[in-house]
Amino acid sequence: MDLVRLVLGGLGMIGWLRRHADAFRGRGDSAPTVPPMDGALRPNTLLETARVLLRIDAPDSLVATRDGVLFSSSAGVFRLDPQSGTVASVRRFEHAVTCVASSDEVLAVGLEDGSIRLCRAGHDLPALVTLGGQRLVCPTALAFRDPTTLIVCQGSARNSPNHWKHDLMQRESSGSVWQVSITDGTSRRLAGGLAFPYGAALGNGDVVICESWRHRLLRLSDGSATPVLSDLPGYPARLVAAGDGGFWLSVFAPRSQLIEFVLGETAYRERMMRELAPEHWVAPSLSPALSFLEPMQGGALRSHGILKAWSPTRSYGLLVRLDARLQPIASFHSRADGRHHGVTSCVEIGSQILVSSKGGNAILALPAAAGDTP
Amino acid sequence: MTDATPLIALRQITKEYFGVPAIKNVDFTVMQGEIHALLGENGAGKSTLTKIIAGVTTPTGGTMAIDGRAVVLRTPSEALHHGVAMVFQETSLVPSMTVAQNLYLGHEKFFNRLRGLYIAAQQFLQSLNFNVDPVAVVGNLGAAQKQMVEIARAVLQKAHVIIFDEPTAALTPEEKRYFFALVRRLKANGVSIVFISHALEEALAIADRITILRDGELVVTDNASAFDRDMIIRAMVGRTLSDQLYHRQGGKARAPHDKVLSVQNLSMGALVRNTSFTIYSGQVTGIFGLIGSGRTETAKIVAGVLKRNFFHGGEVRLRDRAISYLLPRQGVLDGIVYVTEDRKIEGFFEGMSIAENIFAGRLAAKGPKLVSRKDMLELARVWREKLNVRTINANARVIELSGGNQQKVVIAKSLVQQPQLVIFDEPTRGVDVGAIAEIHQIVKDLADQGLAVIVISSYLPEILNLSDRILVARQGRIVEEFSPTEATEEKIMYAAVH
Repeated sequence: MDLVRLVLGGLGMIGWLRRHADAFRGRGDSAPTVPPMDGALRPNTLLETARVLLRIDAPDSLVATRDGVLFSSSAGVFRLDPQSGTVASVRRFEHAVTCVASSDEVLAVGLEDGSIRLCRAGHDLPALVTLGGQRLVCPTALAFRDPTTLIVCQGSARNSPNHWKHDLMQRESSGSVWQVSITDGTSRRLAGGLAFPYGAALGNGDVVICESWRHRLLRLSDGSATPVLSDLPGYPARLVAAGDGGFWLSVFAPRSQLIEFVLGETAYRERMMRELAPEHWVAPSLSPALSFLEPMQGGALRSHGILKAWSPTRSYGLLVRLDARLQPIASFHSRADGRHHGVTSCVEIGSQILVSSKGGNAILALPAAAGDTP
Repeated sequence: MTDATPLIALRQITKEYFGVPAIKNVDFTVMQGEIHALLGENGAGKSTLTKIIAGVTTPTGGTMAIDGRAVVLRTPSEALHHGVAMVFQETSLVPSMTVAQNLYLGHEKFFNRLRGLYIAAQQFLQSLNFNVDPVAVVGNLGAAQKQMVEIARAVLQKAHVIIFDEPTAALTPEEKRYFFALVRRLKANGVSIVFISHALEEALAIADRITILRDGELVVTDNASAFDRDMIIRAMVGRTLSDQLYHRQGGKARAPHDKVLSVQNLSMGALVRNTSFTIYSGQVTGIFGLIGSGRTETAKIVAGVLKRNFFHGGEVRLRDRAISYLLPRQGVLDGIVYVTEDRKIEGFFEGMSIAENIFAGRLAAKGPKLVSRKDMLELARVWREKLNVRTINANARVIELSGGNQQKVVIAKSLVQQPQLVIFDEPTRGVDVGAIAEIHQIVKDLADQGLAVIVISSYLPEILNLSDRILVARQGRIVEEFSPTEATEEKIMYAAVH
């Protein structure tokens, strides 16, 4: 027993030494490195120049239904005609809407207070407020597996959806993914210990989720979570199936060396969180900096009043097309000098794709075939 | 060409090795003050012909005349006595001695005053307009300056004819320009130049006359203005290779498979500066950049040959696993192979046979614990056939092979390691056109087999022909990416220099 304790203690000591050596040298987990946007992720301006279908405050959670496209904006859920761009209110709630999913009969809506409302024509089903006996805190994404089974992503067990920056800066990994029966409210945890799961989609019978703070996609099957796409250059948000068997991935903010560095500096982060308003933190952002009080864009370059497209930036617009193996094959960008940042969701309607730019306060429409690499 | 009488005239020259003719009934003339390019595939007989002129070997048949008088040159010193000097590809300078000491090596007086030697060397170098410090140690000089010292030594020994064997193979573009200026100055002073080159543009640009050999026989000698690139290639190989070499076949780029390598914010001193790029399997990724752009250094860090900065040196991820090698062998075991740009120094063991070199590659990977000569020869046979290495047998030493065949051996030595990522650094440098096509095909086949392939090249047509993605490096980092359909030589060069 003593020997086991000694070995474990030794291993712990080696791990501790390695972590500190890595932090000292800036390598391993402490390396402030960021993968490049190249290959299929090569920057372009397709998202920036996309047609603006609708200007509305912080649109989010685009969902295709047989009656049109639903999306959320602050405390309301709206229906959008993808052709004309006309909008109709579907439902308003007392709290901000954080995510939406729809089966043919049920509309599931996650709210900022942590509850999930299940709306059905005629009468509503009881709201989901707990999962596995624990209070629901942070519903970030919903997807119907079948008409009675809902996949729920809980981004964090400690922070509400609106406090996502806190969750990142606290380096939380208390998120989880659940499968819930909406008929009897029973739930089963599919995965736990996740760093802000922010999107879920079904692929080949398995659930594929986005783990934002670890910049990767995971396939959940038979109780195991397998990384299928790692080391993304940004923080992934919602994932939806594409018509050709692939997927569309929204990336709501870019990674940067400065932010990676700050994430490795615990004392700095704690003081920053204690003393500054969140919008002024050195952290990812949904929208481009507009206030002079905001921190410099990590060395953003401005020449003759024009911001260079390749400047280091805290906000960015990125939509990625993945193939059936979940590998990137094309991408749509709004770069540092653009405005269509903070892409949180998208939906494919016929030959076009609608994109919610939460940071740019717009819903965009662009041809799905655009961005194909030659 | 100031005189109608040839300075050197070879008639019906034949040289046989063990009854096999290396050159056969070749006529060759050098006029006074001309630049004469000697072209041909590897094995065409260029080196044999020049070695006969320089007295390194003696012909089996035919006659040679210098200034109209028949001569038989048995040694290089006899040739030098007649004003003929040869500058070999590997310089024959003593690296630990100064420039002045090298210039006067073999001609020292009984008592030497070093200061006087340096003054004389300085005056002589200035008379040639060569900007080389006579006090500098030769080992510290660049390739172009070493070349200058070689030339100066030849001129000092009163050579009227200087023969260069692939003089520009090791030179950077800037150094090449400088070298050509030197050659033109020598020509203006009445010195005749004969040079062997595989770079056809060079021959077309600076030569007055061009002679082309094929399979040991003279094909044509004519004024350079009578040739164009296609004509030269046709004469060299008996077919038009230009399309095959430098025009993209099929047009469409290969689609990427999986991400194999991710280089993130990699830094090494001032040579590699925060560079990032991704490499995918099933594709050829071409990396273009001028000298000093950090291409080779980046590749060597990936392969474990060089070390990144100790602090904040960035990350290299192989299939999403961070890697950092103390030794290149660890990279080889992980499936990364680097085919060097300097094959003679880093690519093969020159004293060993083809079979031993290829087997050494296998030993570096997970090879057998015991060396079996039978296995070694069998492995060599398989790879000689696969890569079409032209040689008498597997026991031939690699140093005896032509440049193209040497390169194929280096490639075979790498491929026996069963890599998943192959990095070719200047794969066709100093290689004849026939071998270029074969090496290009090897590169393409590797990508078709699903391997990740990187080709680093300074030659834009090669990058454009081979690459499915083109990355451009400048000042230590990747600055631009092009798809083959949008890339042009102008765009790539603009990205490389701006």
